[in-house]
Amino acid sequence: MNTRPDTKPDTTRGTHLRVDCTADADGRIVFALPPTAADNGGSPRLLLRLRPKKGQPEKTVHPLDLEPAHDGRLLAVLERRPALAEGRWDVYLLPEPDAPRQRLRPGLRDLRALVDGHTRDRPAPVAVRVPYVTKDGYLAVRAWLRTAHAEVEGIDVTDRSMTVRARLHGTPLAEGAAVRLRLRGGDGTVRMVEPRGEGDGRAFSFVVDYADLVGDGGTRDRVWDLSVQASPGAGATPIRIGRLLDDVADRKEVFVYPAAVVGGGVVRPYFTVDNDLSVEVK
Amino acid sequence: MKISFLLHNAYGIGGTITTTFNLAQALAERHEVEIVSVLRHREHPNFALDPRVSLRPLVDLRHEKEHPLHLRAAKVFPVAEYRYRQYSELTDRRIGECLAATDADVVIGTRPGLNVHLALQGPEHVVRVGQEHLTLDNHPPRLRTTLRRAYRRLDVLTTVTEADAAAYRRKMRLPGVRVEALPNSVPDPVLPAADGTAKVVVAAGRLVPVKRYDLLIEAFAPVAAAHPDWQLRIYGKGEEQTRLRQLIQRLGLSDHALLMGAAAPMEAEWVKGSIAACASNFEPFGMTIVEAMRCGLPVVSTDCPYGPGEIIEDGVDGRLVPVGDPGALGAALLDLVRDDERRRRMGRTAMANARRFAPVPVVEQAERLIDEARSARGTGRPVAPPEGGRIQRALVSQGFAARDAAYAAASGALRTVRRGRR
Repeated sequence: MNTRPDTKPDTTRGTHLRVDCTADADGRIVFALPPTAADNGGSPRLLLRLRPKKGQPEKTVHPLDLEPAHDGRLLAVLERRPALAEGRWDVYLLPEPDAPRQRLRPGLRDLRALVDGHTRDRPAPVAVRVPYVTKDGYLAVRAWLRTAHAEVEGIDVTDRSMTVRARLHGTPLAEGAAVRLRLRGGDGTVRMVEPRGEGDGRAFSFVVDYADLVGDGGTRDRVWDLSVQASPGAGATPIRIGRLLDDVADRKEVFVYPAAVVGGGVVRPYFTVDNDLSVEVK
Repeated sequence: MKISFLLHNAYGIGGTITTTFNLAQALAERHEVEIVSVLRHREHPNFALDPRVSLRPLVDLRHEKEHPLHLRAAKVFPVAEYRYRQYSELTDRRIGECLAATDADVVIGTRPGLNVHLALQGPEHVVRVGQEHLTLDNHPPRLRTTLRRAYRRLDVLTTVTEADAAAYRRKMRLPGVRVEALPNSVPDPVLPAADGTAKVVVAAGRLVPVKRYDLLIEAFAPVAAAHPDWQLRIYGKGEEQTRLRQLIQRLGLSDHALLMGAAAPMEAEWVKGSIAACASNFEPFGMTIVEAMRCGLPVVSTDCPYGPGEIIEDGVDGRLVPVGDPGALGAALLDLVRDDERRRRMGRTAMANARRFAPVPVVEQAERLIDEARSARGTGRPVAPPEGGRIQRALVSQGFAARDAAYAAASGALRTVRRGRR
C-alpha cells in the first residue's frame, strides 16, 4: 500500500505556502506559486537568501519578480546568469514590498532535466543549482560555483584500494596533471597520485592505495580531501573532486561505499555534506 | 444524497486515508460528503481535504487520551481487529451515537472493525457499505469468524481487487450482500509524463521485508553490469534500510542502486525514471504501480497476490514475473533497458491503461454501486443479484467458516496453555 501523500499538498490551511519548481538542464529554474499566494493588485516577489553561517548576519539576497501566467499561477524565473554564490539559498515570498517575508514549503520539484547532467561538458565557471527540501521541510536551492570541477563518475572499491573515474569540466586535463589528497586540519600533509588520462583531455582515473593513507600508524581519526591539479606547476589551483552534476542535493547518505580494513584502520571513501569526495580513516 | 465515511484516523498518513480522501472529494462533486474520523491527534490532516468535504472527529486524543471510558477495552469493535488496542468503550459509544444519529443516506466503513460497527449499529434506513483495503486470506481466522457473522448485515462489501472479492464470495456466505471490487484511485498527474529516455529504474514503498527490495537489488546487478549508465532508485524508509545498504555494498552497486530516502509527493520522482519496479511477495492492491503507470512508466512487477496481475497486462503495459525469482525479474528489466522503442511504447500504453484508476471512473463505479443498493433497499429486494449454484457455494463457505472457527478456537486454547505455563 502507498504510504506517501499523493493528494494535493495543503496550500490553503497550513501556515506555509507551497511552491512548485522546474529546473532546466542549463540551470534555469522556474518557480510557480498558486494564484492565491498574493492579493489582487499586490506586487509579490520571490526572494532567495544565501543562508549565512551560524551567528553571522544575512548578506546576500536575490529577489525575483512574480508574474501571473495564463493559468493564473504566479511565476518567477531564476535565469542561468548571474550565477549564484556557492551555498544554500532559502526561498521566501514577499507578498508586498513592506510585508514580512514568508518561508515557502516545496510543492512538486520537476528536476528530471538534471538527472543526466554529468553527460554534458560544462564551460568555466561551473555553476550548479539543485532545488531541495531542507531538513525542516522548506524549499531551498543548493548552489555550487567553481572555476573548474572534477565530476566523479564512479568509484570501484577493493579491500586495499579504490579506483576513481572522473571527468573535468571547465578546464582540460594537461600533461603532468596530478591528484592530490590533503589531510584535513593537519599541517599540510599531502599524498600525490598520478592520474591516467582517457585521451579526450577530460576523463581520467586514478587509484588510491589505502596503505598510503593509514601510513604512520597514527590512531586519530583522519580525513583526506581529494582534488586534482589539471596542469603541472606550483601555481596550478587544485580542483576539488566531487559529484555535483545531477539532481541529488545531499549525496552523503545516498551514495555509500564499502569500508576496508587496512593496517588497523577502517578506510572508506565518502561524499561530504557539500558532495565533495573525501576518504575517512577511523 | 448524503454520504458519510467512517475512517480510523483522517489525521495520519497511509494508503487508506489517501484513497478515502480521493473518493470523498470525487463524490463531493455531486453529493454532500462527510468524513467521520474516529480518532484525531493533531490540528490538521496531513493531506489537504477539499473544503466541500466536512471532517468530523469523534475522539480527540489531544484531550481525551485519559478519559475514563477510553481506558476501558472496546466491546463492539472486534477484539481480533488489528487496531483493537486503539479502540475503547469511548470509541464504541461515540461511533454508536454517531451512527444512531446520522442523517446520511449511505455510510461507508473503511476497515474491518468499523465495518462491524456499521453492520451492527447502522440504522435501518442507511445503506451500509463496507470497504476492505486488506485481504480476506491475510486476516487472522478469529477476525474472519467475526466478519463472517457481521458482514451479512452490510448492503455492499467492496474489496480493492477482483481476486479478493472472489475470495469473499467463495469463503464467506453473505446472502443479500453485493460483493464487488472497487479499486483505489490515483489522482491525475500534474507534471508532464515521463518520456522514456531517462536511464533510471524507480521503485517506492516502505523498506520492509514483504516488499523484497533485496530481490530487486539482486536482480538489478546484471543490469548495472551490462549497462553501467543505468541507475536503480529506491524511495522509502524502513527497518530494512541497513540490510539493503549492506547488500548494495556487497554487490558493488554503490554507484548504481541508490536508497533515496522518503519522497513526498512521489510524482516528481517517478517522472525521472523510465521503468518502475515492484518486487513484492504480496500487494493487497499496488498503489505505487498505478502511480508509476499514470506517470507514463511501464512497471516490471512480480505477479504476487493480489493487485499487480489485475493492474498490469503482461507484455503490453508492463511485465509480470514469478514471485521471488531474481533471474526473471532481472531479465525483464534488461529487456526493457535494451529496447528503447518497446519501453516507450509500453510506457505510453501504461499511461492510457491506468486511466481506469483515475478518480472519475472509480467514483462512477462507486456511485453506481450505491444507487443500486439504494434502489434495492427501496424495493425490498436483496442487493446481491441472484445467481445459480447457491447451495454449492453455501457448502463451500460453511467449510471455510468451520475451519476458521477451529483455528480461532485452537489459537485461543494455545494462548491459554501458554499463559498457564508462565
